[in-house]
Amino acid sequence: MTNSEILMELSGVRKTFGTIEVLHGIDLQITKGSHAVIFGPSGSGKSTVLRCMNLLEEPDVGSIKFMGNEYGPGSGHKGEAPRGKPIELRRKVGMVFQQFNLFPHLSAINNLALPYRAVRGGTLSEAQERAAHELNKVGLLKFAANYPSQLSGGQQQRVAIARALSLDPELMLFDEPTSALDPELVGEVLGVMRDLAESGMTMVVVTHEMNFAREIGDLNIFMEAGNIVATGGSDFFENCTNQRAQEFIGSVL
Amino acid sequence: MRREEDGVAPINFMWHLVWDFRWDLFKGLLTAITVSIVALILSMVIGMLFALARMSRFKVLSIFAIIYVNIFRGIPALVTVIWVYFGWSLLFGHNFTVFQSGVIALTLLYSSFFCEIFRSALQAIHKGQREAGMALGISRGRIFRSIMLPQATKIAIPNIGSMYIGMIKDTSTFAIIGLVEVVRVTQNLNSTYFQPFVLYTAAAGLYVAIAFLIDFIFRNVELNLAYPPQGRIAKFLSRKKKKKIEELMRSTR
Repeated sequence: MTNSEILMELSGVRKTFGTIEVLHGIDLQITKGSHAVIFGPSGSGKSTVLRCMNLLEEPDVGSIKFMGNEYGPGSGHKGEAPRGKPIELRRKVGMVFQQFNLFPHLSAINNLALPYRAVRGGTLSEAQERAAHELNKVGLLKFAANYPSQLSGGQQQRVAIARALSLDPELMLFDEPTSALDPELVGEVLGVMRDLAESGMTMVVVTHEMNFAREIGDLNIFMEAGNIVATGGSDFFENCTNQRAQEFIGSVL
Repeated sequence: MRREEDGVAPINFMWHLVWDFRWDLFKGLLTAITVSIVALILSMVIGMLFALARMSRFKVLSIFAIIYVNIFRGIPALVTVIWVYFGWSLLFGHNFTVFQSGVIALTLLYSSFFCEIFRSALQAIHKGQREAGMALGISRGRIFRSIMLPQATKIAIPNIGSMYIGMIKDTSTFAIIGLVEVVRVTQNLNSTYFQPFVLYTAAAGLYVAIAFLIDFIFRNVELNLAYPPQGRIAKFLSRKKKKKIEELMRSTR
């Protein structure tokens, strides 16, 4: 990337669930406009890293620096920068879930309008106008009045992406966005994500879609057992030297 | 006609009494409904507060809720109303009216049931719903009000209906403190005409009729709260909103 301004930086992030440490100290820098792809076997901590990035999981140790502010527990030493509130970070970081997590009691348009109003205030009309605009961008304006139960999985995920985008995030996180979809619906979601990547959005994607990763990933991260084992640029899939990463890529592709 | 010579009265069902005193019975029913509706509203509000206390991070609150629930789920309505009506007056020298006593007793009893109903309803909501709200940067209060509460209400509706039928039936025990509801009216008539079978069967008929009515109402409420709404009322109420969305769909480019 020519622009090397760092948008988010994870340093020494450790996370423990019960007695099991699932992240053993993650260091990661996401530069503005980059498209990071995290992959690896299940249980390797991919999703947990992603969830730490918007503090849905609060790290036990370590720091998350985002747009000049420090989040997470920090070192506890005196003179350390004050920690930001998770809600402030989340308002600038969008997230897309494997299970879409649309609000089933709201129509597609209100799935966007409710969060927009809750975060930005304003009238319902203003929020719905913005929502209609975002739905149009993902090609779902004609389904604005439909409820999630009346949409296909692919459509639901596109609404979920539009919902996150309607809040003008600086960074978008995707947690296996196509894993819950029927194979023939994967393409439409990847299409929306491809457009988003081309528009210059900073993205971190946890995925098993290796072809998509190869296509958009300019920072490829291979994780295993709670560690980042190998990283590389867009030539990672061709020139990776790490044996475990090679094996994994070989078995998935 | 049998054994009249032994001094046993002939069996003579005076069904006309039910018609003759229909307005007294009706007024009794109205009292039962009024007491139970006021108590329903109060116990839903208080029950929700207890449900939140029960699920609270603060141990003190959740233990308090557990103790409350188990006490009042276990006490018969008759005992509760005697406590409220006679006990309170003996201990504190303040007299509740029979109506107030009925409402308070029912609320004490049923808020414990509603606590459990709302707790299970809130816990039945997929955790992704709260996470989606958090990831969008919506405040905790707003997540509860706009995302959790509507979905929990829908889940709880059938149980609320059953509970309300139980509440109406429990008003019958308030005859003992002199609340002139259905059973009290029946008792009064019986002491004059000595027609227990006829009069109490009529009373039972009223309770059953009300149970059918409540079931009908709650099935309709459930239908109207479906996603998307199925009932006529919801369709009628949402037609303006739908028009607005359709207008937006035309005007957005």
